[in-house]
Amino acid sequence: MNIQKLKNKIKKDISYDIDISIQNNALKLEGVVENWEQVIKAGKIAAMSDFDGVINNLKFINQEKENFINTDLKDNKLNNKKYDVIIIGAGIIGCSIARELSKWNIKILVIDKENDIAVHTSSRNDGMIHPGLSPKPGTKKAYYNVLGNKLYEKKSKELNFEFKRTGSLIVFDKWHLKFISPFIKLRAKKNGVYLKYVDKKQINMIEPNIDKNLIGGFLIPSTGIISPYKTTIAYAENAVENGVDISFETFLKDVYKENNEVVYIETNRGRIFTKCLINCAGVHSDEVAEIVGDRFYTIHPRKGEIIILDKKTGNFINSVVSKTDFNLKNNSKGGGIIKTVEENLLLGPNAYEQPYKEDYSTTSKGINEIMNKHSSVLKQINKKDIITYFSGTRASTYKEDFIIKQSSKISNFIHVSGIQSPGIASAPSISEDVEKITINILKSKTNINQNIKYNPNRKGYPILYLLEDKEKNRIINKNPDFGKIVCRCEMISYGEIKSVIHSNIPAITLDAIKRRTRVGMGRCQGGFCTPLLLKIIHEETGIEYEKILKKGLGSNLIFKETKKFGDDFIERI
Amino acid sequence: MKLTCIVCPNSCELNIEKEKNEYIITGNKCKRGYYFALNELKDPRRTICTTIKTIFKDKPRLSVKTNSEVPKNKIFEIMQNINKFILKEKIEPGSIVLKNVCNTGVDIITTDEIE
Amino acid sequence: MKEYEVIIIGGGPAGMAAALKVNNEGCKALIIEREERLGGILKQCIHDGFGVLKFNERLTGPEYALKYKNIIKNKDIDILLKTFVIEIKKDKDFHIKIINENGIHILKTKTVIFSTGCRERTSKQIFIQGERPAGIYNAGTAQYMTNIMGFMPGKNCIILGSGDIGLIMARRLTLEGAKVLGVYEIKDTPSGLTRNIRQCLYDYDIPLYLSHSITKIFGKERIEAVEISKVNKNYELIENSKKIIKCDTLILSVGLIPENELLEDLGITIDKKTNGAFVDNDFMSVEIPGIFICGNALHVNDLVDYVSESGEIAGKKACEYIKNKKTNNKNTKVDINENFLYIVPQYINENSNDEIIFYFRSKKRFENAKLKIFLDDKIVEKNYNKLIPAEMEKLTIKNIKNKKISMILE
Repeated sequence: MNIQKLKNKIKKDISYDIDISIQNNALKLEGVVENWEQVIKAGKIAAMSDFDGVINNLKFINQEKENFINTDLKDNKLNNKKYDVIIIGAGIIGCSIARELSKWNIKILVIDKENDIAVHTSSRNDGMIHPGLSPKPGTKKAYYNVLGNKLYEKKSKELNFEFKRTGSLIVFDKWHLKFISPFIKLRAKKNGVYLKYVDKKQINMIEPNIDKNLIGGFLIPSTGIISPYKTTIAYAENAVENGVDISFETFLKDVYKENNEVVYIETNRGRIFTKCLINCAGVHSDEVAEIVGDRFYTIHPRKGEIIILDKKTGNFINSVVSKTDFNLKNNSKGGGIIKTVEENLLLGPNAYEQPYKEDYSTTSKGINEIMNKHSSVLKQINKKDIITYFSGTRASTYKEDFIIKQSSKISNFIHVSGIQSPGIASAPSISEDVEKITINILKSKTNINQNIKYNPNRKGYPILYLLEDKEKNRIINKNPDFGKIVCRCEMISYGEIKSVIHSNIPAITLDAIKRRTRVGMGRCQGGFCTPLLLKIIHEETGIEYEKILKKGLGSNLIFKETKKFGDDFIERI
Repeated sequence: MKLTCIVCPNSCELNIEKEKNEYIITGNKCKRGYYFALNELKDPRRTICTTIKTIFKDKPRLSVKTNSEVPKNKIFEIMQNINKFILKEKIEPGSIVLKNVCNTGVDIITTDEIE
Repeated sequence: MKEYEVIIIGGGPAGMAAALKVNNEGCKALIIEREERLGGILKQCIHDGFGVLKFNERLTGPEYALKYKNIIKNKDIDILLKTFVIEIKKDKDFHIKIINENGIHILKTKTVIFSTGCRERTSKQIFIQGERPAGIYNAGTAQYMTNIMGFMPGKNCIILGSGDIGLIMARRLTLEGAKVLGVYEIKDTPSGLTRNIRQCLYDYDIPLYLSHSITKIFGKERIEAVEISKVNKNYELIENSKKIIKCDTLILSVGLIPENELLEDLGITIDKKTNGAFVDNDFMSVEIPGIFICGNALHVNDLVDYVSESGEIAGKKACEYIKNKKTNNKNTKVDINENFLYIVPQYINENSNDEIIFYFRSKKRFENAKLKIFLDDKIVEKNYNKLIPAEMEKLTIKNIKNKKISMILE
């Protein structure tokens, strides 16, 4: 659309108070509007331009400032260290890039403001390895998704994480089938995704429990599932095995550049020199780009709520089923029914815009909508089966596509931004591509060789529930700790918990242990095992009980020892 | 005046009326309810059940109780005394750890074992 | 493969009572317990009031457990501690697969007694929304931390739900120096025993708010506040009744669910009213003979005395089952009207010579209720001054062999 027309449309449709300018080959919006819907609407109109992106700095009345930095840590741990590559963000994208880059004999550092791997979006999604049907043909999303999907067997074998190529069913009632079917076929063809039409009878054979009124649909065999956090952790642990450094509670404050090149970054843990800087900061990637000095996009967090059902429901379906109200233009509404790698059923996610990037609160409206949508397809499930629900935010840009490229302004800076769904499915191909971009940048500066010690295979630790009894017995005989069950719902042993506490990326918070072992993820939701875990963390790490965290700084689990009447307690005498 | 008897699980709802100098108590299924109501009016008493600190790693706290009821208004004073105590030796359940706590004539006894 | 006549899963009050009875009857029993000590939840229930019916004493939880433990110690009863049952298979006998420090083994037994207790309903099962910070605990978890480990879960606490453990914890945390800001209950009547409302809340000036619910949690890392709303009789939120209350801890006492996943794996149907299995008056499953269920795994009891009692019955009947080599009981269903919340046992078998114990709860509060029991054509009546769902009633009926039985509560 013509730029003047766009400007007029934004002003007319939303507010004449919006300042519109062009900066860094992006359309920049500034001013104050009434509400978040207006912010989003303005951004979406601005995205219709041919510019690279939208810098949407609009605020709305009463918008609160969101505080992302959770740590008050300040030291010189990393001061004056020199790296070839610094990656910002330890989500699946940052960790997979680090791992691919560890094939090379270079010094790599991953920094993250949180205290563990995969704290945000990478552990707050459905774990689906999408086939690549939804993205618009010709987009980066379509390209990386289809390619990434194909790499999952290899990655799962090397990195030792669970991956199941379950296939998926998109099902329709009569009305939808007629209208959407031709579009789906066309898009599949364009994106290079194989699918097969299935009629009512075939659906019934594949998924005998789903609604009998659905008249047809498509079977997409390439759809898969993983545990998103376990996969991210696997990537990270293999990266560390191959020499990558990871520093938590470390955040970017500033960058120093010379001749349009980053020379060093300033962090809360000192000044760190680097030859190349990669932005994998997820929902915060626009802020990182701003600090580095090449921002042309804005992340507007799109929330998705997800429900997990009791394992008892796991046998109701065999793979992934979604009834489509799926509208090719828009984002998915209510997601699908997914049988997770652990064989729980997962419902969702839904999708809605919200102003705050780390607002993970759930709503009864969202939870009810998801439940209603899916219980109409799978009548056997109901609210009583819910064991937990949570939410995550997608790192969407207004152009709604991935941004994966070397900065045109700062030659040793790489954007890997706007990685929203299907980000997990695309991670293997994105990371291999970014590896190439990075190596090209480094080669122009210095001589680099392959890392001869590189081992693509991650050893991992035993996950008992995946093993045959004979193998379990062998492990228990060697180390009886593996026969001591701590989490009674998921049957997770003391040995497993000990091994993740002492792994190369030590898990020392409750949630970190949970992400690696599933402890506390069962139907009692940690009711029985939380105290036991506190004891194990204390005994294995020496951390005082009062300082043990559930998640980030400030999430202390217990207050104080009993028998200590003092100032902190209420004086009652 | 109405009271709920706390002596046994029946939780009888007691009705107390004063006639001249005598209390008329109704609603109790047994005699204990009668005495509970009388005590509650004159000198309300409770048993305290709590824990004491120990030096044993596998049993950092040991459960204890008062071996008979103590005046209600002394509960927190007694708690403070119990909280200062640290058990350093293995003792049988039912052993006295604090004698005549706060001059009440009541002892604090252990209610669990240390294996 | 080791063989037993009776394997008891769970070494709490029900399991221990069952084991003693089995031993008394001359059968060989094994208790499988997942924790390091016998006693189950009693170990952390340090308050008194246990055993009033059974021993005519006000014992604390540990004392009650010790009474049984000390007898068991000197009997020929096998105990496996720190052992989990993974699965159970059935052919002629039952094959129980267990895991412990010695590895995975399979044990064979003629009968199984389930005394697996219950677990607490979580915040997600009552659909609390908002953030997911640290500092939200089930009352039982908080009780374990406070009483066993010696740590305070928090300082300024709100308790949601007026179940007994929540009430007990309100007093316990207050005694240890925390401030309990209030107990909030969605129903218009308390869930816990009246005497606990009195001695745990009123004694310490802790307010109880009926018809209130928590509608939102605030706090990114540790809980910072809750939003509380009033509800009407249908539990619908009352507009403009929202109030935000600051706190650092939320304790939930919103109900217990019998743990019956092992039974469900065997294909046993769960009674939606009790959340336990359907049993006859031998406490034997009406679907799979040889399986007995007792204690809180069968239905949630108010008093441990009843839990032990049901364990004894299950133990005795399991031995009779072995000795008589009975294959199946012929059962008739006990018909109840809609004023019952539930009744246990749900079935009566044809060999019922002795007196039969029923446990039941009313669906709502009744003043001067009348229970009519129809035995074929005979009617027996029983009067109750007061019946409330929170308080379970026990009923003993004699001579009902081969009779059709139904009960009406009005």
